[in-house]
Amino acid sequence: MFKDLRQFLEKLEKEGQLVQYTDEVMPEPDIRAISRAAADMGATGPAVIINKIKGYGNKKIAVNVHGSWANHALMMGMPKTTSLKEQFFELARRWDSYPGEVRWVDNPPCQEVVLDSFNLLELLPMYKVNEHDGGFYLSKASVVSKDPEDPDNFDKENVGIYRLQVQDADTIAMQGLPFHDIAIHMRKAEERGEALPVAICIGVDPMLSFMASTPIAYDQSEYKYTAAINGIPMELAKTTTGFLDVPAGAEYVLEGEILPRVRVCEGPFGEFPGSYSGARKQVVIKIKRVTHRRDPIFENLYLGRPWTEIDTLLGLNTCIPIYKQLRETMPEVKAVNALYQHGLTVIISTESRLGGYAKSVAFRAASTPHGISYVKNIILVDADVDPFDLVQVMWAMSTRLRGEKDVIVIPNTPGMPLDPGSEPPGMGSKIILDCTTPVAPEPKMRDVKMVDLIPEAIAFQKKLTQMHQALGAVS
Amino acid sequence: MKCIRCLSGEAAVVATAPDGSGAWEIYKCGRCNFGWRNTEPAKLLDPANRDPFFQLDKVDIDKLITPCPIPPLHR
Repeated sequence: MFKDLRQFLEKLEKEGQLVQYTDEVMPEPDIRAISRAAADMGATGPAVIINKIKGYGNKKIAVNVHGSWANHALMMGMPKTTSLKEQFFELARRWDSYPGEVRWVDNPPCQEVVLDSFNLLELLPMYKVNEHDGGFYLSKASVVSKDPEDPDNFDKENVGIYRLQVQDADTIAMQGLPFHDIAIHMRKAEERGEALPVAICIGVDPMLSFMASTPIAYDQSEYKYTAAINGIPMELAKTTTGFLDVPAGAEYVLEGEILPRVRVCEGPFGEFPGSYSGARKQVVIKIKRVTHRRDPIFENLYLGRPWTEIDTLLGLNTCIPIYKQLRETMPEVKAVNALYQHGLTVIISTESRLGGYAKSVAFRAASTPHGISYVKNIILVDADVDPFDLVQVMWAMSTRLRGEKDVIVIPNTPGMPLDPGSEPPGMGSKIILDCTTPVAPEPKMRDVKMVDLIPEAIAFQKKLTQMHQALGAVS
Repeated sequence: MKCIRCLSGEAAVVATAPDGSGAWEIYKCGRCNFGWRNTEPAKLLDPANRDPFFQLDKVDIDKLITPCPIPPLHR
């Protein structure tokens, strides 16, 4: 769809989904307050470009770019009013066109300006994302690294979004967790006593940020997925070192390396479950060179108490892998809503092939690669319930859940360390809430007739909507 | 200068407003790597008023959790 961030921002502006904020702001607390406010504007909220930040001159920041389902639909090339369910199915359809095409360009825009002398805290309009963070964080930067044992394998090159604390002029501490692909690269390099080259890319095309935060297989390429879903080739450039591949249209690229066998104090950081994760010992990156576009736009993301931009960014790309993996052996599954904190709570709509089937769907979801540590609260609903429509989900829970047989707790399972409910961090439990109608040979509890849907209402709704809009109603 | 988070004397200026206005300075602590700007809200800048939950003066930095421990060298 969009080959870089700038093209997407132009589209947002054309669609009335971008606010240019021109009053002067203080780095703290104004930038996070604006980001929070934009997030609280909900499913149709705009991206915001902050144009004037005290002390930073004319440097610009884009926030809330992925912050609403309207913007998310536009990223997909769909109308901004597209429902979440339609976006889910369209994404599921395009997922199967992997791999897409990548191609390399010379003289890429991301290298219009090359700096060997810089202070990251002055070059980039950094700010404290949350008031008790341990410092100034990049929260939406894509980190590129290669497998040290297989550097010519393009598919093993990883692009991932990890939190990055910019500690001084050229030093960045990074959190990679053991289940992240970059942790595999880090381990291999450190076992050899070698530095791991990295390129930190800020302000990239929105579908790359989307894929860089998606749990895909170790040897699948985020670049090829971006191209597949966008339907246009992904344009890349070699870093100035010639080793790594970066998006040609990135606003900024920080070229450097993870120092081997060193850990430094980093954090805390307000994380996506809405709580701070503590100070930790993490790896440290030395940046040796910065390249950027002329008049670069810095992009960052607010995260904290949900619902924020990160919940939208991590939304459908958490649903789709689980959906695809379930349907490999369970074609009865209709849709998966894993929007709540990156899949900690999941709602799955399914037909039941036989009595008790819904519970089997739950077991499978809880044992997918992402599900092992994330999928914690599993709600099953029938095929006639839209799992993205919480009104329908609550109705299913109200009328189809019987506590004495439909609630199962499984103790002592893997947990997700950033979940404040996981104690000790990494241990947890899972709960299944089966809100499906019993299927033979399970006996029906009571024999009732459902009130039918009214097909004649569809035509009337079209007419009433037109009449309502003609009155000047907000669409 | 004193770090407002761990109270060590190892903090120093690491950045100043790049537009030359003198609008702010950023400091970093050499012991705990805490970074802060002198224009942040006042309640966060005074060690006596900061939330004690986040202070690292009584914490052994070397004993903090290491999510990705350093692996053995393969020779």
